[in-house]
Amino acid sequence: MRNNLAKSIVLLVIALLILPHMPATAQEKVSITFWHMEQPPYRVERFQTLIDEFNAANPDIEVKQEAQNWGEIYTKAPAAIAAGNAPELLFAIPDFTPILRDLGAVQPVEDFVAELDAQHKFYPAAVAQYTYDDHTWAVPLWNMAHSLWYRKSVFEEAGVEVPATWDEWLAAVETLTKEGQYGIGVPANKQLYTDQTVYDLMINGGADEIYNPDGTLRFNNPQTVEAFDMYSQLYRFSPPDSPGWTWGEAEACFANRTCAMILQFTVITTYDTQAEGDPEDLGVAPIPYKEGVETPGTISYVNAVMILTDDPAKQAAAKKFISFLLEPENYGRFLNAEPGLYLPVTEDGSTAESYWNDPLVVKYKSQVEVMLDNSTSGRLFGFTGGNTFPSIATISAQNLLAQTLQMVVIDGMSPADAVEEGQALMEEAIE
Amino acid sequence: MAHRLRHAVPLGFAVLILMTVVIAPFYWIFSASVKAPQEIIARKPTLFPQSFTLEHYDKLLGHSNFPTYLQNSLVVAFGTMVITVFLSTLAAYGLYRLRFPGRNLLFRVILITYAFPGVLLLVPLYDMMSTLGLVDRLVALVIVDVTLAAPFAVWMLQAFFRTIPQELEEAAALDGASRLGIIVRIMLPLAAPGVASIAIFAFITSWTEYIFASILIISDANRTVPVGLAGIIGQYQVDWGLLLAGATVTALPVLVLFGLVGRNFVEGLTAGAIQ
Repeated sequence: MRNNLAKSIVLLVIALLILPHMPATAQEKVSITFWHMEQPPYRVERFQTLIDEFNAANPDIEVKQEAQNWGEIYTKAPAAIAAGNAPELLFAIPDFTPILRDLGAVQPVEDFVAELDAQHKFYPAAVAQYTYDDHTWAVPLWNMAHSLWYRKSVFEEAGVEVPATWDEWLAAVETLTKEGQYGIGVPANKQLYTDQTVYDLMINGGADEIYNPDGTLRFNNPQTVEAFDMYSQLYRFSPPDSPGWTWGEAEACFANRTCAMILQFTVITTYDTQAEGDPEDLGVAPIPYKEGVETPGTISYVNAVMILTDDPAKQAAAKKFISFLLEPENYGRFLNAEPGLYLPVTEDGSTAESYWNDPLVVKYKSQVEVMLDNSTSGRLFGFTGGNTFPSIATISAQNLLAQTLQMVVIDGMSPADAVEEGQALMEEAIE
Repeated sequence: MAHRLRHAVPLGFAVLILMTVVIAPFYWIFSASVKAPQEIIARKPTLFPQSFTLEHYDKLLGHSNFPTYLQNSLVVAFGTMVITVFLSTLAAYGLYRLRFPGRNLLFRVILITYAFPGVLLLVPLYDMMSTLGLVDRLVALVIVDVTLAAPFAVWMLQAFFRTIPQELEEAAALDGASRLGIIVRIMLPLAAPGVASIAIFAFITSWTEYIFASILIISDANRTVPVGLAGIIGQYQVDWGLLLAGATVTALPVLVLFGLVGRNFVEGLTAGAIQ
């Protein structure tokens, strides 16, 4: 009896000594903090629903979301990393990732992406935007691609066909500009939206490559000059306040019928809640291209998630959560946190019932189909042609495409001079 | 009579223009916040709401975290105001009245800190707050906001103290008042307009501070109004109604403070002091 008691005490002491040094057990929850930049309340709410489901199904893991703002994340994330407060998971767009990768904070995920690819089949372009320097740095989650938005009734009334080429586009814009209506709304703000619309024209003018394969800049070329010239011609038919626009003002211009056309990721939510909401009248088309250009397309941003922790238990938990989001029964609900804006990046996600049965997606199904189709020809400046040059993050952060445009449409420089000056600015920025 | 009218009409007209310039933006924000979404973005703007709805306020106050942001902002702004007034009063009096080596240098250093762009301190300050365990805590914002408001407040209050005759203090000292008694009973009542001004200044500095609040606060539960509002209105799809309702509610505490403190408080205290 005394021996048993002594044995029990010894075992208890050993257990007390060993337990604190043992890895996480089933009782100890692995905590994952997930920063994203999708702050509108309904998006946060949708994410929370999925997080709650995941946490309930995985009692050993606790995922917690913290919504941040795109405006500050470029400062906040490096500061958090430097102070050792970084989250385990952080949302990304392609030109954000190189900044954190340079800080040594981003974990390579090519093996995990390969596993997910075997299950869900990523569209290759989605992974490409995050693959460079022999690694993949983030797991693609959704895509956003620009399209040309218009009203069918406005075009019919003016006897205008949906333009496919630049010549048709200019003619249509001119015809549609009449009392109280501008043929098109294009921004000229020194801001990301302008970078995006400028690049739309660069792609469709055959100037999508900003870099040579050796990493030198090739922005200053005849195709880029033509794209800027085309933009300045369209700009003449844009509202006078467009130099101050971001995405919201362009959408409002379209919703209130002041702009006959705009280039935008989506207008569906705004059109549905702040305009007529008639799906039969809402038109969407690929962005017109310069005749002779072989690979027209559109700007697209693949949004992804980076893993910032090097703790194996946390990495495993983070991967489990990402896998959960990409499961077709969850993925559609995840994308429909903002229906009609977030497009799938996986083949099984594109056909998932959970994606197509959202009421807004059902209502605007034909438009979403066109958006998806457009997104397959999407690309992003600095991430094209199989070459990715992380220095594009600097060019993007300074909005140098938009600045070059302003030289043309606001300062009155010739497109050729402005593009030459733009390349000089880019070279200076990435030195 | 005609002579008086000749002066009164242009003066009245000038005041009317000034009032319009000052009030029009507030009217525009408020009136648009009660319009239906279609009317807010209508091609032809309407001066008076043709549709009336409180849906944006319902969404703001009932279906978003805005009330939490409002509460946090009030805590931080009042905290900043009280601490700034307390510290600035003592500092300004000390710099104005006490003689000690390096007084002038110290005064200039305080002004230099005000001229220093705060944004350059973002990363080191984050690091410091993180070491102290204050990241994502409202107290961190109070500390930062006090450091932003206090230098200017000291400078402004010191100018007010200079206008108070030194003989008053000497008379109080002869009557046996202590240094603290002189500050509380003589200087503060006489410098009441200045104290009220720095209180309002500190409140508004804190109420509108965005950059540090966006970096130092991580969780939604601790966000202040400027940062929280920027997030809930969206980026690609802007909810204009929500934005306008948020702007209206955000302006209210400042207007109320001006209404209460900016006039009554100042007038009451200065009148009492003069008597």
